[in-house]
Amino acid sequence: MRSSNLVARISFNTFMLALSVFMILPIIYIFNHAFKPYHELFVYPPTFFVKEPNVQNFVELFWVTANSIVPVTRYLFNSVVISGLSVLGVTIVSALCAYPLSKHPFPGKKFIFSTIILMLMFTPEIVQIPRYLVVSELGIMNTYWGHLLPILASPVAVFLLKQFIDQIPDSLIEASKIDGANEVVTFVRIVIPMCMPAIATVAILAFQNSWGNIETSTLFMQDDEMKNFPYFLSTLTNNLANNVARQGAAAVAALIMLIPNLIFFIILQSKVISTMAHSGIK
Amino acid sequence: MAGVRIQHLYKRYGKEKQAVVSDFELEIKDKEFIVFVGPSGCGKSTTLRMIAGLEEVTEGEIFIDDQLVNKLPPKDRDISMVFQNYALYPNLSVYENIAFGLRMRKLPKHEIDLAVKQASRVLEIEPYLHRKPKDLSGGQRQRVALGRAIVRNPKLFLMDEPLSNLDAKLRVTMRMEITKLHKKLGTTFIYVTHDQIEAMTMADRIVVMKGGIIQQCDTPERVYSKPANMFVAGFIGSPPINFIQGRIVETPIGRLEFQTNRFQLKVNEAEEYILRSNNQVNKSIILGIRPENVKLEGLFSETIITGIYRDNELMGADRFLYLDIGQEKPLIARVDPDNRFNENEKVKVELDLSKAHFFHQETGVRLTE
Repeated sequence: MRSSNLVARISFNTFMLALSVFMILPIIYIFNHAFKPYHELFVYPPTFFVKEPNVQNFVELFWVTANSIVPVTRYLFNSVVISGLSVLGVTIVSALCAYPLSKHPFPGKKFIFSTIILMLMFTPEIVQIPRYLVVSELGIMNTYWGHLLPILASPVAVFLLKQFIDQIPDSLIEASKIDGANEVVTFVRIVIPMCMPAIATVAILAFQNSWGNIETSTLFMQDDEMKNFPYFLSTLTNNLANNVARQGAAAVAALIMLIPNLIFFIILQSKVISTMAHSGIK
Repeated sequence: MAGVRIQHLYKRYGKEKQAVVSDFELEIKDKEFIVFVGPSGCGKSTTLRMIAGLEEVTEGEIFIDDQLVNKLPPKDRDISMVFQNYALYPNLSVYENIAFGLRMRKLPKHEIDLAVKQASRVLEIEPYLHRKPKDLSGGQRQRVALGRAIVRNPKLFLMDEPLSNLDAKLRVTMRMEITKLHKKLGTTFIYVTHDQIEAMTMADRIVVMKGGIIQQCDTPERVYSKPANMFVAGFIGSPPINFIQGRIVETPIGRLEFQTNRFQLKVNEAEEYILRSNNQVNKSIILGIRPENVKLEGLFSETIITGIYRDNELMGADRFLYLDIGQEKPLIARVDPDNRFNENEKVKVELDLSKAHFFHQETGVRLTE
C-alpha cells in the first residue's frame, strides 16, 4: 500500500517536473536569444543556449532607435504609464462596483450583475467597432484616455471581486457600522484589506491585459508617439521587406515585454495563493 | 441612565404578510440584563438588530433613553454589539480592533490608548494586544469582541448569541464573566440566545419568544415556576416538562379528579378552585409537571401512579427515568442515581400536584385564577 503510494507520487512528481521544465523553455529561450550576436541569431539549426553572450542587441534597440522619429523609450514610457494607470483604474473601478453588488440591497441589482456576467461572453473582437465609435465620439483618440477607457471596465475583475466580497461576513460590515465608520471607511479599512488576494489577482490580470495590448494602439492611436511598446515590437518583426534587419532589437524587445509580467507575477503570486485570512470568523 | 422602550414593534420582509416580529412590546429598565430566548427563527435576533439599527423597523417605535431612534443610524444610537461570529476585523491587530470605534469617533490618541488598555485589563487580554485575531483561540476572540464593545462605554450592550461558537466548558466560564461584566459596568444588556440555560443563569428578566410574538416576559424564577403557556413550560427546563393529556371529571362526592386512560388523580383544593373558575369541569385538559416533581418516595400520597420502566439516562447527580404511562411521550422522572430498575418493571411514582400546572387544551395557556 505504502510503496505503491510512493511510486505513484514519484511518477506524478516526475511528470509535473517535466511539464514545468517544458513550460519554462520559452522563457529561457527569450533570455538567451536577447544576448545572442547576429550570427548566432540566424544559425541553422537554431541553438537554444547563447554561446558568445553580448549586449549588442540592447545597444541596437536603445541606441539605434534613439535616432528614429519616435525613440523606443517613448513607446516604453507609454506602456508603463498605461499599464500602471490601468492596474490602478481597473482595481479601483472593479472594487467599487463589486462591493455594492455584493453587500448592498438596491433595486435592479440582479439585473446589473447578470448584465456583467453576460458581458463575459463577448470577445474583444465583437466590440471593436462599437468601441471605436465610442472612443472617436468622445474625442479621446490619440490620448492616454483612449488607451485606458476601453479596458477600464472589466467584467472578469468585477465578478472575481464580487465573489470574494460575498465571503466576507455581513457582521463585519455591521460591526464597523456600529463602531461608527461610514461606508467609505468601512470599504477602505475593512473590505479592501480583506480581499487583497482577489485584488492582487485582478491587478495581475489588468496588467497583463494592458501590457500586451496592441488593439488600442492600432485602432485609436494615429500619432506614433502615443502608441505603446507591444505595438513597437510588432512593427519590428512584421511588415518589413527583409526579416533580418532589427532581429536583434526584436529579441531584446521580447525580453522587455516579458520581464515586467514576470516580476509582477512573482511579487503578487504569494498574495493570490495565500488564502483569505479568515481570522475572527469561524 | 439608559432604558429602552419598545412599542408595537413589527417587522415584515418585502411584501410578505407574515410578520417576523409582531406587536413586540417591552420596557427595559436601566441596568437591566434582558435575555431574548426562543427557538431559531422566532424573531429574537431580528428584534435585537432593529434595536441596533441594522434592520429597518416596519412599524412601531423604539426609544432609547426616551429618544425615538427608529431613523437613527447605528453609530448615533450609542450602543455596541457583540456578534455570534465575533466579527473581529481580521486585518487589524487586537489593539486596533478595540480602538477602531474610538478612532472613528476621533478621540485623541492618549485617550484611545488609555481606554484600550483599561478594557483589555478588565478582560485580561493585555498579552495579546499586538496579535492578529487569527492567532487567538475562540475564548480569546470572544474577549476581544467584548473588549471592542465595552471600550466605548455605550449606553446599551447588545449581544447576539455570543457564546454559541464556544465549547461547552468555555461557555460556562464566559457566562459567568459576562454576568460579572454586567455588574461591574452597570449598563443595560440585551442578550439573545437560543440556550435556555444561558437565559436562566444570566437574565434579570427573560423574554420568551416564538413566531415573532412574546410568549412571556418575567424573571427566570417565574418563567420556570409559572410559565404562561405550554410553549414556555416546554422550552424552559431540561429535561423538559411532562405534559399529560387527560380530563377533569367530577366525582359523586363533588371532588374533582384528573383522569387519563390509565389512572386518576385527586386534584387539591387550590387547583380545584382554578379549574372551576375557568369552567374546565368535564373538559379535556393538559397537566404539566416537571421531572423533579415526579418522585419515587412518599408512597402514602394520594397522587401515586404506576408507570412501566422503559429507559433511563444517568446524569451523574441525577438519573432520568423514562416511564410509559399510556401517553404519547414517556413520563420523565428525575430521581436519585442509586435507583436502578429492570426493563418493563413497574415503577410507582408520586406526582407533586402542588407544583403542577393545568393548561387549556386548545389555547395551551396556563390556567390561573
